[in-house]
Amino acid sequence: MKTQRTKIGSNRLAGPSRRKILGAAAAGAAAMAASPFWFNIARAAAETIKIGFPVPLTGPYGAEAKQQAACAQIAVDEFNAAGGFNGRMAELLVRDSKLNAGEAATRTLELIEKDKVDCVVGSLSAAVQLAVNNVTKTRKVLYVSISQSDQITAMPDYSRYTFHEALNPHMTAGAVARYVLPKFGKKVVFLTPDYAFGHELVNGYQAVGKELGLQMLDNVLAPIGATDFSTFFPRIQSLHPEVLIVNNFGRDQLNTLKQVASFGLNKQMHIAVSVLLYGQRLAGGPEIFEGVVGGSNYYWRLEDKVSSAKHFNAAYRKRNNGAEPSDYGAYGYAGTYAVLSGIKKAGGTDTEKLIAALEENRYDPYKGTEYFRKCDHQAVQSVLILEAKPKAKMSNQYDVFDIVEIDPADEKNLRSCAEEGHV
Amino acid sequence: MTAGHLVLPGTRGRRLVDAIARHRVAAAVAGLLVLPWVMPYQALAVNVLVYGLYAVGFNLLYGYTGLLSFGHAAFFGAGAYGCGIAISRFGVPWPPALIIGTAFAGALGAVIGGLAIRTRGIYFAMVTLALAQCVYAIFYQWVSLTGGENGLRGVNAGRLLLFGWQLDLIDPTTKYYVVLVFVALALWLVSRVLDSPFGAVLEAVRENETRARACGYDVRATKFLSFVLSALVCGLAGSLMAIHLSVVPIDTLNYTTSGLVVMMTLLGGMGTFFGPFIGAGFFVVVEDVTTLYTDHWQLVVGTIFMVFVLFFPRGIWGVILQWLRP
Repeated sequence: MKTQRTKIGSNRLAGPSRRKILGAAAAGAAAMAASPFWFNIARAAAETIKIGFPVPLTGPYGAEAKQQAACAQIAVDEFNAAGGFNGRMAELLVRDSKLNAGEAATRTLELIEKDKVDCVVGSLSAAVQLAVNNVTKTRKVLYVSISQSDQITAMPDYSRYTFHEALNPHMTAGAVARYVLPKFGKKVVFLTPDYAFGHELVNGYQAVGKELGLQMLDNVLAPIGATDFSTFFPRIQSLHPEVLIVNNFGRDQLNTLKQVASFGLNKQMHIAVSVLLYGQRLAGGPEIFEGVVGGSNYYWRLEDKVSSAKHFNAAYRKRNNGAEPSDYGAYGYAGTYAVLSGIKKAGGTDTEKLIAALEENRYDPYKGTEYFRKCDHQAVQSVLILEAKPKAKMSNQYDVFDIVEIDPADEKNLRSCAEEGHV
Repeated sequence: MTAGHLVLPGTRGRRLVDAIARHRVAAAVAGLLVLPWVMPYQALAVNVLVYGLYAVGFNLLYGYTGLLSFGHAAFFGAGAYGCGIAISRFGVPWPPALIIGTAFAGALGAVIGGLAIRTRGIYFAMVTLALAQCVYAIFYQWVSLTGGENGLRGVNAGRLLLFGWQLDLIDPTTKYYVVLVFVALALWLVSRVLDSPFGAVLEAVRENETRARACGYDVRATKFLSFVLSALVCGLAGSLMAIHLSVVPIDTLNYTTSGLVVMMTLLGGMGTFFGPFIGAGFFVVVEDVTTLYTDHWQLVVGTIFMVFVLFFPRGIWGVILQWLRP
C-alpha cells in the first residue's frame, strides 16, 4: 500500500489522469455488471413454456394494453395452477411496444432471439400487429394476434404461423349492419378515422350493406387523434341521415360521443358505434352514451348465458376488487388461453404440431365455443350487439350495457377464403 | 501542484485519445465488433448501428457544416422505403436494394437540399421540416406502394449466396456483422471526407460563412454537397433499418424521427466523430432498459436529456474529450 502511494507520488503528472482513467474503467465495469446482459446467463428452467406478449403499455392505448396483459396473466396462472402441461409451467413475457411498429418489431426480435419464446401473443393497432406478424412468420414462430384487422388473415400478410383471435372489421361491421339497418333505417352517414381500421370497417358495411339496402349518404373522414369533431356536424345534419355510425376508437370515440350529446345530434338521428368500448363508457358516464348501440366481442353480463364468461369474470373480479373485465382485456385472456389449450392438445410446444392442434381445436375461453377457420386462421366467434343503459336502469357502476342481440359464430359472416386470396 | 495538474494533464490519457483520434474508423469498428456481446440483445445492437449511422449522417450537416435540419426523417425514411419497396414489391435481392434505397435518399436530398439551402438559421430548419412533412404525406397516401398507415411489410431479405458463402440474415449474429460491414464503410467514407480539404471547407462555412466566401469558397455548393452526402448516409442507415426489421413503419418518416436524431447527436456530442454514435447507443440502451422497469421511461430519458443540455452542452463524448484533453 505504502509503496503504491510512493509510486503514484513519483509520477505526479501522470497520476491524476491515470486515476481518472481507472475510475472511468471501474465505472464502465460497474455499468456492464449492472446491465441486463448478465440476465442472459441466468436462464429459466428449460421446460418453461414461454409466451411473448408485446403490447403498447405506454401511449394512447395504454389502459387497454394493461388490461390485456393482466387478463393474459390470468390465463397463464390458471394453466399453472392446474399443473401446467406434464409439469411444464407457462410464463408470460410482457414487453412494451409503445404503439410503434418499429419498436414492436425490435421487441419481437428480442423475444424470439434472446428469450426464445415458444410463441407470441398480443398487440393492439393494425400497423403494430402486421409488423409483429412479419417478424414472427419469417422466423417460423407462432403468433396469435388480438387486435382488429382484416389484412392480417388475408394474403399476402397471412402465413400458416398467423392466428387471429380478435374480431375483424368485416365481422364487426356486418353484425352492426344486420342489427341497425332493419331497425333504425337505411340512410347512413359514417364518421370514420382516416386510417386502415376505419377504412376496413366502411368496406365491411358496404359489402354487407348491399343485401340490406344500405344507402351511404356520406363517409366523413376525420384525422386520428382529432379532438374537435363538431366541425363535421353541420355537414352530417344537412344530409338528414337516419343513423350516424361512428367508427372512431379509443379516446376519439369518447370525444365524438361527448360532442354528439352536447350538440343534440343524438336527438335527431340514431347513433351507432362500430366497436363500442366498455372502458370508454366507464370513463364517459351514462348520459353521453345513453341509447347508443354498438358491436363488441364481449361484455361481462354474457355470464347470464355462458358459463365460461362466468368463470372468467370471477377470476378477474377476485384480482381486481370486484371490477369487471373489459372487452379488449378479454382478448388477452382468449389469445393466451387458445395457445395454452392448443399446447395441451398438441402434446408439446413443437410449432408444427401446435398449428395442427389449433386448426382442429374447439375451445371456449370466455364467450362460448370458438375455432380457427382453416384457410385463414380467423377465430370464428359471436359478435355482441350492445345498447348503453340509461342511469336509472343500472344496477351497479359496471352494469352499463344491455346485450340486445348476439350475432352467432358462423363462417358465413366472414369474408370467403377466395376473397382473402387463399387458394 | 494542483495548478500543475490543470496546466499539464495526464499524458497517457491524452496519448490514448490522440491514438483513437488518429485511427478513428478502426477504433469505432473495434468497439462495434464487440457490441453485440455487451448489449442486452442483438436486435438492440443492430438498432445502435443503424441509429448511430443515422446520427453520423445528420452530424455531417449539423455538427460540421452548421446547418440544423429538422427534416432528416425524410432521408432515413426514403432509404428505408426505397430499399423496402425494391425488396417487397419488385423482388430485388437485398444488396442492390440497399444501393437503390441509398440512391433514392440521395436524390431526395438533392431536391430538398437544393430548395432548403437558399434559407438560413431558423428558416432552414422550418423549410426542411415542411418538406419532410410533404414526403411523409406522399408516402402515407400512396397505400398501394407503401402500405400507408399499416406500414410496408414483407421486406424479407432472407438468404443470399455470396462467393459460395451462405449469408442468412435471419440469424441475428450474421445480420449484425453484415450491417456492421456497411456501417464501417460509411464511417470510413465520412472520415475520409472530413479529413479532405472539402472537410476543412465545411468547418470554415460553419465557423464563418462570410469569411469562407471571402476566401473564395463556393459556400452554396459546399452546403449542397454536404446536404446530399448527409442524405446519402442517412439513407443507407434507413435501408439497413428496413432489412433489419423486415418492415418499414410509417413512423420512420414522422417528424419525431427527425427530432430523435437531433437529440441523439446533442447527447453524444455534436461536431465530434464518435459523439453521434455514442449518443445513439446511449439513447437506445437507456430507453430499452428503463422501459423494462417503468412505464414512465419518457420521464427518465427526458430528464437525462435536460441535464445534458443544461450542464454538459458538449455531450458525452465532448465532455470526455474536454476532460482528457483540455
